[in-house]
Amino acid sequence: MSHVTAIFNLNVIRVREVTLSPADHTRAGCGTLLVLDQTETGLTLVRSWEWSDGLFDVAWSEANEHILVAGGGDGSLQLWDTANHSAPLRVAKEHTQEVYTVDWSQTRGESLIVSGSWDQTVKVWDPALSPSLTTLRGHEGVIYSTIWSPHIPGCFASASGDGTLRIWDVKGAACRLAIPAHKAEILSCDWCKYDQNVVATGSVDCTVCVWDLRNIRQPVNQLLGHTYAIRRLKFSPFDKTVLASCSYDFTVRFWDYSRQQPLLDTVEHHSEFVCGLDFNLHIPNQVVDCSWDETVKVYTPACLSVGAHSAAP
Amino acid sequence: MSELTGFHSSAVMHRLKIISGHLPPGGSSNFRRDLRRSDCGSATAASSRSSPEDVVVVHGRRTAIGKAKRGGFKDTTPDELLSAVMSAVLKDVGLSPERLGDVCVGNVLQPGAGALMARVAHFLSGFPESVPVYTVNRQCSSGLQALFNVAGAIRSRAIDLGLACGVESMSLRGIGNPGDLSSRLMDNDKARDCIIPMGITSENVAERFGVSRETQDAFALRSQQNAARAQRAGLFDHEIVPVTTKFVDDEGKERQVTVSRDEGVRPGTTLEGLAKLRPAFKPDGSTTAGNSSQVSDGAAAVLIGRRSAVEALGLPVLGVLRASAVVGVPPDVMGIGPAYAIPAALQQAGRKCLYADVSSSDFRLRFMKDLGIPPEKVNPNGGAIALGHPLGCTGARQVVTLLNELKRRGRRAYGVVSMCIGTGMGAAAVFEYPGA
Repeated sequence: MSHVTAIFNLNVIRVREVTLSPADHTRAGCGTLLVLDQTETGLTLVRSWEWSDGLFDVAWSEANEHILVAGGGDGSLQLWDTANHSAPLRVAKEHTQEVYTVDWSQTRGESLIVSGSWDQTVKVWDPALSPSLTTLRGHEGVIYSTIWSPHIPGCFASASGDGTLRIWDVKGAACRLAIPAHKAEILSCDWCKYDQNVVATGSVDCTVCVWDLRNIRQPVNQLLGHTYAIRRLKFSPFDKTVLASCSYDFTVRFWDYSRQQPLLDTVEHHSEFVCGLDFNLHIPNQVVDCSWDETVKVYTPACLSVGAHSAAP
Repeated sequence: MSELTGFHSSAVMHRLKIISGHLPPGGSSNFRRDLRRSDCGSATAASSRSSPEDVVVVHGRRTAIGKAKRGGFKDTTPDELLSAVMSAVLKDVGLSPERLGDVCVGNVLQPGAGALMARVAHFLSGFPESVPVYTVNRQCSSGLQALFNVAGAIRSRAIDLGLACGVESMSLRGIGNPGDLSSRLMDNDKARDCIIPMGITSENVAERFGVSRETQDAFALRSQQNAARAQRAGLFDHEIVPVTTKFVDDEGKERQVTVSRDEGVRPGTTLEGLAKLRPAFKPDGSTTAGNSSQVSDGAAAVLIGRRSAVEALGLPVLGVLRASAVVGVPPDVMGIGPAYAIPAALQQAGRKCLYADVSSSDFRLRFMKDLGIPPEKVNPNGGAIALGHPLGCTGARQVVTLLNELKRRGRRAYGVVSMCIGTGMGAAAVFEYPGA
């Protein structure tokens, strides 16, 4: 293959469905959204759509199991329906640079989408996508990650190239906290699924920091081990203090930040940057990751198997 | 990782820039770094870390470059020029010549490439007989080839430290006797092309690659202006070794002169003046005395060694040799040599060019554009058109000038030395200045 197809992100929400958004890094003007189904025999392709630019992130709807939203290199958000073969349901082009992150809120009573862009703004949308409900400014660098709190309605975290982790309140359209979490770019953040005050950040400085928002002067823990920038991290849906991170160092690492020695395991099954990962919400401790080596891997790391560590309360 | 295609797209470049910014050296608070691109793009960046096995440049000096036949060195034998720089380099760093594992001298015009001359210079400098010396001739690149040879001996662990030099007196020797060549030469196209005069190869390149007289003159003007500015600002003062030598005037009287300034620089050069010059090689040609490299006298010496040995002796590191390449090109357009050698060297080093010292290049503008090298990065202190081109010396001289300029700028940076080579070759080397 004469160009690089990097698989940028993935999102597992169903028992058996995975979506991927590979982006051809070398040709502006080419992106594909893939929906894969996990069966006993492996992963099969259920649906795929082409987009005129790379796609950098994807999120499933919480309300409708057929709907997903993707963020594109052309600054657009598109809403897709797995029942519709050809075109997106809706396209919204407001961001003026790449949309690098999209998330669909999970808290009861709201169906909101948040997008973060390299244009340094965050936008909040409803599924109509026209127009955005609010645009939030404050970051002084590209935005890499915007993630809804699973606990607090209308609240999301953002990670930026400006080195700060920010916590936002949509109703007040304001940034509530700006934490200078790293001296380098922060490429990923995620909320703990069991403690509404805990957020983790992953940075170009090769560290993961776990923060308690009630005391932001220093992190609760700093997880060392990766040798290159951390591209994405995710808290486990099943274990309060367990999280996973993937990195440009080709590895995926699993951590329990409540331990003295937090690193549980290092998985080295890729031959290129690992840039996406997620936990399966329905099959405990199953993880899927994706890499610039053009592979997607679904596995259950031994360090997470039942009984290996403290269970969730 | 697979090769990148279509990389001229600015959107793609922007995304690669962002991603590149995530890779080492990392951890700084810069939001948007300058592009630091590695051709293979993998997470393991090529050779940007320091290793005890690195071949490093410790120090270098050169004589001023004199105008052949008329300038201050016109009556100076090359061994005197060579001896002056060899002694100066070692004296500057306080190194005893016994420590040298070998000495290699680039030379073109002396009989046997100056093998005897070099040994004489060696003893004139008071080097012990225990240190060996030899010479190398790869035409215009000889001074750089000398450095490649010494680097090779260091890498193969034959030696720890060596002196790479270059010297030429074009006053005392001309191209002269080409040697004993087969009569079949004239029946073999490529062989016959090897004896085409350099000026004609220059015309060939101009014609075939569409380089106009105006473009060549503009490049020549830049060379002169840059050299004049550098000279006025004293940028060459540190690297030049003043040489006191005999000079015979028009009446045959001999006196002593001290040569400490490059004689070829013409601060008053203008485009109008250059435009008035007649073509020197072909009646309707574009190559003139003003936009060609000059015939010159000079010498340079560079001390290099394996980093571990250099550090063990407490010697400084001025630069690191990161890549070397020599390529062959058609003899009749030998001027295109750098256009092939530079990418080969850059690829080896995994680097994008930041500063280039490109010799004998009266029309590299075309190729600089093709290679994507910004013109202000080529010969910022002048090149062979203004400074001159003493054949065997030039390669070594360029290394001295390049590293001194990078040092003057202070920041960690990479630089390239390159030249075309008569009979159809190009050579290039990538050096890293480690930063103040």
